[in-house]
Amino acid sequence: MNEQDTSGGTSRREFLQATGAVVATTAVTGLAVTELPAAEVQPGTGTATGIGPAATKISLNVNGREVPATIEPRVTLLDALRNYLDVTGCKRVCDRGTCGACTVMLDGKVVYSCTMLAIEAQGKAIRTAESLYNEGKADAVPTAFVRADAQQCGFCTPGFVVAMKAVFEANAQPTPAQVEKGLQGNICRCGTYEQMRDAIYALCNQKRGN
Amino acid sequence: MPWPTTRRLIGTRVQRLDGIEKSTGRAKYSYDINRPRMLYARIYRSPRAHATIKSIDTSAAEKVPGFRAFYIIKKAGAEVFFAGDEIIAVCADTEEHAEDCVRAIRVDFNDLPHYVKEADSLNSTTNTTGGAGTNNIVAAGDFNTDNFDTAFNGLAATHEATYGIAVISHQCLEPHGLVAEWDEKQQNLTVWSSTQAVPKTAEDLRQRFKMKPGEVKCLTNYMGGGYGSKFGSSAYDINDAVAAELARTTRQPVKLLLDRAEEVTVGGIRPSAFGTVKIGGTKEGRIQAYEVNCYGTGGVNRGPTVNFGLLPYVYGPAIPNIKRLHRVVRTNIQTARAMRAPGHPQNAILTELAIDDLAARLNINPMTMRLANLPPNDAADAKANPRTFPGQRATIYRTEIEIIRKMCDWDRAWHPPGADKGIIKTGMGMALHTWGGGGRGANPTRVTINQNGAVVAQSSTQDLGTAQRTVMAIIVAEILGLQPTDVTIIIGDSSHGPSTPSGGSTTCPGTSPAILKAAETARDAFLANLAAALNTQPAMLSIEPGVVVNRANNNARIPFRQACSMLTVANVRGDADWPTAKELQSNDKLREEWTTRLSNQGVGGVQIAEVKVDTETGVVKCTRFWAVQDCGMIINKLGCESQVAGGVIMGLNYALYEECIYDRATGRQVNADMEFYKLGGIADMPNIYVHMHDMPERGVIGIGEPPTIGTAAAVGNAIFNALGVRVPNAPYTPERVLAALANRRAGNP
Repeated sequence: MNEQDTSGGTSRREFLQATGAVVATTAVTGLAVTELPAAEVQPGTGTATGIGPAATKISLNVNGREVPATIEPRVTLLDALRNYLDVTGCKRVCDRGTCGACTVMLDGKVVYSCTMLAIEAQGKAIRTAESLYNEGKADAVPTAFVRADAQQCGFCTPGFVVAMKAVFEANAQPTPAQVEKGLQGNICRCGTYEQMRDAIYALCNQKRGN
Repeated sequence: MPWPTTRRLIGTRVQRLDGIEKSTGRAKYSYDINRPRMLYARIYRSPRAHATIKSIDTSAAEKVPGFRAFYIIKKAGAEVFFAGDEIIAVCADTEEHAEDCVRAIRVDFNDLPHYVKEADSLNSTTNTTGGAGTNNIVAAGDFNTDNFDTAFNGLAATHEATYGIAVISHQCLEPHGLVAEWDEKQQNLTVWSSTQAVPKTAEDLRQRFKMKPGEVKCLTNYMGGGYGSKFGSSAYDINDAVAAELARTTRQPVKLLLDRAEEVTVGGIRPSAFGTVKIGGTKEGRIQAYEVNCYGTGGVNRGPTVNFGLLPYVYGPAIPNIKRLHRVVRTNIQTARAMRAPGHPQNAILTELAIDDLAARLNINPMTMRLANLPPNDAADAKANPRTFPGQRATIYRTEIEIIRKMCDWDRAWHPPGADKGIIKTGMGMALHTWGGGGRGANPTRVTINQNGAVVAQSSTQDLGTAQRTVMAIIVAEILGLQPTDVTIIIGDSSHGPSTPSGGSTTCPGTSPAILKAAETARDAFLANLAAALNTQPAMLSIEPGVVVNRANNNARIPFRQACSMLTVANVRGDADWPTAKELQSNDKLREEWTTRLSNQGVGGVQIAEVKVDTETGVVKCTRFWAVQDCGMIINKLGCESQVAGGVIMGLNYALYEECIYDRATGRQVNADMEFYKLGGIADMPNIYVHMHDMPERGVIGIGEPPTIGTAAAVGNAIFNALGVRVPNAPYTPERVLAALANRRAGNP
């Protein structure tokens, strides 16, 4: 597979067309794994070869590494990361785009990885919370979470950390209110929001008043 | 071995040791365990609220690609009692295929009548829930003090009203479940389970499979929330057994963790509570009579955690006349489980709200009203042992009320109910609470000091997010003159002996004394060995921060690591545990030391909410919140403050958002998710001001439950204060606020 080749993404409509087209052939060919070069998954051409429902080989760029996986096209990016690539910092909680525990960055933008298919994420740079720890050193955002004790059970925390990191990557000097807005798509059950505000103010170099 | 009188680390703010692992996603929770050749299991659950199973057809499921095995939980002919009841489990090579298998299973049912609403079950004429009785009512009991019939005579004011709080779900973010793996000979079983009780989880499985001690190992390094719902396998929690059975059948590791709909439908609920309260008092505000007629549901089984017997909550010892009629009704929904201070938040609702309504009738400030009705210090108790809670409860509450009064500027900020003008009205409300939070053994703990300088503390206990690892490290470091980061903590592994389940705020008080004693024993062994190496007596050596001081040699200061290298053995150890229950009972001195000096039980706590209520939309926003909390001797102030703020946020969710909604016709929960089962996000939450009232002389007491108890009641009272109108039932949704306002406009009381 040519790692340089990046798919432009697949719209839901195109995906449905593609899978619909392939149902008939599956009955004939059985469920053998079919390998499809990424170059053949060309959106918008109207002549999609089609993939699935059988497992197919794909390649994802996760935290700077290109990693192959053999998955069915219906597998979400979240499940591909967790179940097929053992990248488990993104958590599965609501699985319906509500709680934000599965938040990852895709080419720098935050997405709920449970609401996207893995095949759509090919060719994009996927970053999870694990990318914020390198050579024994943690990034300023997770470090601020620890200093403020903005985590208890910690199951939601990587999602919050990624969401917050994305705010700082888009704007090097945000206001605390802007950072907090970036966390509104995430839910914590233990109730660590108060400590998250401490972390936000520390990262913004501001003193928290009443 | 009392706690050190001067404390370098204990009571300070210490960052949690595993914080970076968690916040960078590297911490492996049970849900994150992926084993070679691992299969995925899923469970087919009853879509019917009450039925008998006519037939189960698995033929299509067996043909699904990747199918491996079934495990039958209920056979044809068996009865299911709620929508979500387990019928058959299946495993396959991928999670997608396991879900395909479940979809291919066909089950036919003969439907039977069901009740999912408490009020319906209260009028039930048939028993739809199994167990004894001709209907779904469990007569939980009644109580009254002597001559109650005349209790309300001649009082300055009485008030009668209804209050309530709905069934809610634990909504643990990491769902219930585990990965189960047998060794090649099928003799040893390892499970990575999301549990609040590591050794109990292993022991339950050992008994089920009739294995020898030590042949089942449970590992729980990180745990994504339990709140009382994860105490290992039981009649209500079949996941452990199912995964282990399927792993044995297939000779492959099996992962079974619930999806969100399952987690909400079967992963635990808290009982509801609804009641009519009549309360009366003197013109000075002294409550003379409290009468409650209440009911709630603990689900299909009775549930262990309704606790209505505690009514009237907190103030009971101060109220001379009490009458209580409480009934628990069974409903065709999952069985309730313990949830963070079982029964207490509901009891706070049924007590604190009535007190504010009476205060309003008497034109008395609610803070003054509470001060007039505090449960008195128990004189006999205080004389017997001044460190126990009953002997000083009024003093603790009075102190805490004085602190919070200043924190929130109550005297200036509070106004009489409904006095705020305008469309958006501000109000303040308060509530008190209490909890036990005492711990016991067995919690054997080992502290090892190695020649290479490594210090290790180990126990089989678990860290649910409470920073238990950090608690252990703080205590060991305090005794050995180290920093918490110098201590390696090994927990969450059942092979390290017994430990008590983490529930009811018992872990910190249950483990801390054993940790202290193990650290001291290790220290003494360390100094004894070192004294021999230095040709002196152990009494000539002492530990100061970072060093061992040798008084036999001009107070020479030997760095700790260097001192370790002088050990004549590879390591020295300290092993310690609680005295046995029998020893505690028979030995007064031991009991006093372990249960009233090293640890203790019984706490107070006071909370105040400030809300803004939009009278046009009905939206309630909590704008500021204050909490003053004691928990005896604080080990980690940072962790305590987090627990308190977190408890408050959970309580704000109870107050404003959370409710399991069941459909009367189908008997199914309609919001078994996170879209329509509401939890607040950061924008919904106020700034929270926490003050820890440290009482080191009392020893260690747990902090998990107390701070979530009074919150919803404080919010309910703040809404009443804003509007001058009582909104009866929590959650206080816009619809309910508007209904209460409309009811008042219609001239109803």
